[in-house]
Amino acid sequence: MLPLGVRLRILLRLPLLQASWNYERMQSLGVLYILYPALRFIYRDEDLVLACRRHLEYFNTHPFMAGPILGTTLALEEERSLHAEGSLDVSEFKGMIMAPFAAMGDAFFWGGLRPLFAALALLLAAAGFWWAPLAFLLFFNLPHGLALIAGLRGGYRQGLGMIGRVQRYRLPDLAVRCKEGTALLLGALSAVLVADTLRSAEVASAWGPCALLPVLLLGGLARLGVSNLILILLMSAALLVFFG
Amino acid sequence: MSIVLARIDNRLIHGQVLESWVPYVHADSILVANDVVAGNPLRKILMTAAVPKGVGVFVETLADAAKLLSGGILIDRKVLLLLATSEDALTLYRLGVLYGKLNLGNLHGGENRRRVSCTIAFAPEDLANLGQLEAAGVRIVAQCIPADRERDWKKLSPSPEG
Amino acid sequence: MAWSLDYLYAGLVALLVGLDRTAVLQLLICRPIVAAPLTGWVLGDFQLGLQAGTLLELLWLGRLPVGAAIPPDDTQIAVGGTTLALMMGASAGADGLPMLLLCLLVALPLGKCGQIFDHLARQGNGLLLIRAEQELARRRPAAATRWHLLGLGFFALASLGTYLGIILPGSLLLPWLAPYLLAKVGDAAPWLALAFPLVGIAVFLGALRNRRILFLFLMAFLLVYFLREGF
Repeated sequence: MLPLGVRLRILLRLPLLQASWNYERMQSLGVLYILYPALRFIYRDEDLVLACRRHLEYFNTHPFMAGPILGTTLALEEERSLHAEGSLDVSEFKGMIMAPFAAMGDAFFWGGLRPLFAALALLLAAAGFWWAPLAFLLFFNLPHGLALIAGLRGGYRQGLGMIGRVQRYRLPDLAVRCKEGTALLLGALSAVLVADTLRSAEVASAWGPCALLPVLLLGGLARLGVSNLILILLMSAALLVFFG
Repeated sequence: MSIVLARIDNRLIHGQVLESWVPYVHADSILVANDVVAGNPLRKILMTAAVPKGVGVFVETLADAAKLLSGGILIDRKVLLLLATSEDALTLYRLGVLYGKLNLGNLHGGENRRRVSCTIAFAPEDLANLGQLEAAGVRIVAQCIPADRERDWKKLSPSPEG
Repeated sequence: MAWSLDYLYAGLVALLVGLDRTAVLQLLICRPIVAAPLTGWVLGDFQLGLQAGTLLELLWLGRLPVGAAIPPDDTQIAVGGTTLALMMGASAGADGLPMLLLCLLVALPLGKCGQIFDHLARQGNGLLLIRAEQELARRRPAAATRWHLLGLGFFALASLGTYLGIILPGSLLLPWLAPYLLAKVGDAAPWLALAFPLVGIAVFLGALRNRRILFLFLMAFLLVYFLREGF
């Protein structure tokens, strides 16, 4: 078992994973930086250099999923140092897990939670609550913190058992639910914004649903590959010519 | 069969594929054709677990993938085909999977590779394999995610994307 | 010289939230809905910042930071746009909205430079990897890990570069554009303020390409709209 001090140092280094993200090996130097306090504790001299070299290989995953992955990596390193052969080669483990876990993290945190809570915060802001940004940060960072802290701890204690535990959360399916929730919140948000705008411009509220037409049109243009920047600038120019 | 996207990506199933390409090409199935992954149960489970319920996943060896694609099971499915290397792409093509267009996603790292874009580094054998595919009539383009520009594989340069 | 100090304070915010984008933590203080009100608060007008944040947040919501693909730098657009608006004399409430919109429209295309700076930072980080490997070859593992932290410097420089890339041309262009455009923007302001979120939502839904999601959006819109406004 690694001493508490070493484990704490690893936890504190975990959020710096991507500080030296590069095109050659992506997060590899970050992984070495995070694991180093433990590697120095487990290995000496030549073995330490070899271990460092091993962890400098190509690595890239979702930054929050690095919690459970590196937790299990530590467990495997420790096992390897105690017995000559561990249950699974550390490099092989990292190589096989990084992409699937990246997919789960991207879908759940970036594709699911981030838009969901952003839409919620915008709805709160539209309702006049000034603390909407704080609510956004709080909601998003509870699961974020959990993934890093509980993930690192769980990975270290359960070793390869962590994989099954993470799978049981069914993150890809949860992400689909989050997207559906986001669609509902965005629908409500646009209804509120359209209603408020029509009222302040003294336009009859029966025109409101017509706002759906430009949304569908713009969405279609986006699907054809027109960039967001072009769309917003063109839209603004059109509005300036029409109303200005 | 209908292959809506054939892609070389050494990361196989990951965020770019699931979050960008699957909705973009309306794929309802992902076929990973790779001898190493198909022979490793743990890797197979991990790959499958990353995909949401609505999308089917098949992880097969190159030979089995070719059989699967020529058989009737995927006949009215929209298949996103993932390959790890240019060698696998060529092998599968020779096994009779005649995709018309090949997308280059990620080809990273390793020795003797020359980086030609942010996400692609060619080894000499890649150039030979892709050259043969092109000669057979496959259009080969580099495009990491749909929001990026599609670029001919011979005109790549290590400049910013997207 | 109070105004130049304000540019400095906003620059510090730009650095802090810029690091959150990739290099450190990713608490999402880099999202416009947080970065813009934070800038506004530091410069003395939280409400204007919040308004800027709500206008910008949805524009690139669907663009995920996946793999090597660099999304447009909406963080620095939020910080830079809010700073420009406050420096040009906008204030919270209806009278400040036209100036805020004009500043955001100027900041949006200027923010393109963020992708170049971010790309340079990531290339710079490649040198750190080479240095780390050299240290390992000399059997100095502790020294190898220290090169990692220098990457923070590259990402910080990229954030500052983007901030300046928006602020400098922006503060030169705006006094020249404002006399021509401000009145026009003022007339169209409520519609422009509606266009920002609607474009973002349209692009978000368009990128998902999912009929079920689109259906849920339409149902929610109609339900909420008619509940609020009556049939």
